[in-house]
Amino acid sequence: MNLQTPTVRSLIFIDELMVEGTSKGNHMTIAVLLKQVPDTTAKISVNGGRVDENAVSKWSFSPYDEYALESALQLKESAGGEIVAITAGPARCEKLLRDAAAVGADTLVHVSAENINDFDSIQVQNLLAAAVQKSGASVVFCGKQAADTNAGSTGPGVAELIGASCVTLVSEVSSDGGGYTATRPSSAGHEKVAVSAPCVFAFDKGICEMRRPNVRGIMMAKKKPIETWSVEDLGVDIGANGVNIDSHSPPAEKPPGQKFEGADSVSTVVSKLRDEANVI
Amino acid sequence: MPYEALDFYDVDSLLTDEERMVRDMVRDFVDEEVIPKIEHACRDGVFPDEWRVALGEMGVLGAPLKGYDCPGLSYTAYGVICRELERGDSGLRSFASVQGSLAMYPIWDFGSEEQKQYYLPKMASGEWIGCFGLTEPDYGSNPGDMITKAEDMGDHYLLNGAKMWITNGTIAQLAVVWAKLDGVIRGFIVEKDDPGFSAPEMKGKHSLKASVTSELVFQDCKIPKDRILPGVKGLRGPFSCLNNARYGISWGAVGAAQACFDSAKEYSLSRIQFTHPIASYQLVQNKLAWMLREITKAQLLAYHLGQKKDAGTWIPEHISLAKMNNVDIALEIAREARDIHGANGILDEYCIMRHMANLESVKTYEGTHDIHNLILGRHITGIQSFTREL
Repeated sequence: MNLQTPTVRSLIFIDELMVEGTSKGNHMTIAVLLKQVPDTTAKISVNGGRVDENAVSKWSFSPYDEYALESALQLKESAGGEIVAITAGPARCEKLLRDAAAVGADTLVHVSAENINDFDSIQVQNLLAAAVQKSGASVVFCGKQAADTNAGSTGPGVAELIGASCVTLVSEVSSDGGGYTATRPSSAGHEKVAVSAPCVFAFDKGICEMRRPNVRGIMMAKKKPIETWSVEDLGVDIGANGVNIDSHSPPAEKPPGQKFEGADSVSTVVSKLRDEANVI
Repeated sequence: MPYEALDFYDVDSLLTDEERMVRDMVRDFVDEEVIPKIEHACRDGVFPDEWRVALGEMGVLGAPLKGYDCPGLSYTAYGVICRELERGDSGLRSFASVQGSLAMYPIWDFGSEEQKQYYLPKMASGEWIGCFGLTEPDYGSNPGDMITKAEDMGDHYLLNGAKMWITNGTIAQLAVVWAKLDGVIRGFIVEKDDPGFSAPEMKGKHSLKASVTSELVFQDCKIPKDRILPGVKGLRGPFSCLNNARYGISWGAVGAAQACFDSAKEYSLSRIQFTHPIASYQLVQNKLAWMLREITKAQLLAYHLGQKKDAGTWIPEHISLAKMNNVDIALEIAREARDIHGANGILDEYCIMRHMANLESVKTYEGTHDIHNLILGRHITGIQSFTREL
């Protein structure tokens, strides 16, 4: 499997298109892959080279996954169908599924993996791909990357495993009841990409923020069952840990600032602003 | 800096998952929609209509009421909603308190089936705003002597009198008005366009500036016979509503106090005087420690009262104590926070002075601080001290 070149079965760059796909009226099931990450505003502490999960004050949706979920909700509203929210991780992830149900996810799937942090990205993709197939979904929405690892491999990786087309950096998806049209940036502005199911869309920040839940949704979410699937339930061999990170390189430190005092330094400051900083 | 709610004893861990989800929903709304706009709303003296829409869409209006499209949440959840709203502004919480506890509740508890079906769904959605007319210009702590009266004219009622300090009055589609019919206090539903009814806004407030405060004027105001609340007579009606509103205030004040503490903590850590952050000085730490202590006690008080409300084991005096205490400490915390902020504390760049000014109103409305002390005094001694023959 080569994750650098995911299989793309049908890419058509057009304005007006006719695409093959399921016929209008067929039931569409969208799997939305959600990852729970430390909230971007939460203070985190590092212990043993890893984020100390016990010290994370707030867990949230990975922001790009929020765009995927909101887009799925909008597609469901316009074209019908059903949304299956899938997350993999320890028990704390169930909160994420409840939050997804509160805004409109129909089915909740928790791939139970207490040791998810020991898995590499390919192993996680194996788990998620198996869950997608078990859910019966033919369309997958996910974020383009997670806010914690920023690997950006889940969408293409799952697409490869389930034999689906994959469109990345998506801002919007629509459906005419047959195929799907995704909007994403191009060198000329934006392009529309038409694909048919099975397909995976990896979302960038789009035109919509995730909707706020309401009390009715929250109360329904409380009653909604969560299907918990273990690795064994999925019957998948996630393989050996094959991705090794040899080293981390922090960004180069910025050079220290320069300090000037007194009226005598004015000409020096002006010349530096003009000739070095190029701001005047 | 993102808001970090002070919860020293982890009281929120006692909430149910559902209550925490409601908390997060309202907290996000306040962060995203209220705090960026509140100072402008105060300067302009308006209650932004989009907040009404959002509260309706979130489905938090009339939070603990069941049926008739009402949310049906726990009283604890209602308290949490009030706390999060008042962290934004007391005026916002006042809007929700009046709508839910003072306008929807009496219809829900004392209204006819037809009244419930007609009014409650559109009030729960925020489509219709309600207000509550009890206080009069000359009768605040002593509403039993109100002079607004209703007359039975055979095929309609005629209302005459005036109410004052009415939150939401000018923007409301309906008012639940308490008036004497043959000397007995009764509740009436007055709609905005009823002949003889007007609701001019009161201007010039230094407090609750982002909340609409009005007079209600009834000059031969004619209302249909089916607008009387059939289920209650006497002061029990309005006092039942006030108990629920006061309960919400006991939580709301904690939110205002948390906002002031949060700002004071951040400011003291960043403000350098005599080469060190002022947070490093003992006098400032003493103030912050006192705030922490009082907020923690207020949180425990509010939570336990919420549990008693949900279990039905409360008495009105429990609510008096919580309302009185929590508003009192919130106001003192706002004042101490202003002190920590120094001169900056008077600017609307910080929330402090706004909360302080708001809490002066909150201390007085829905039973003044002193009246709640007298309620407790009566409970302790069995002797009422509200009035005496002179």
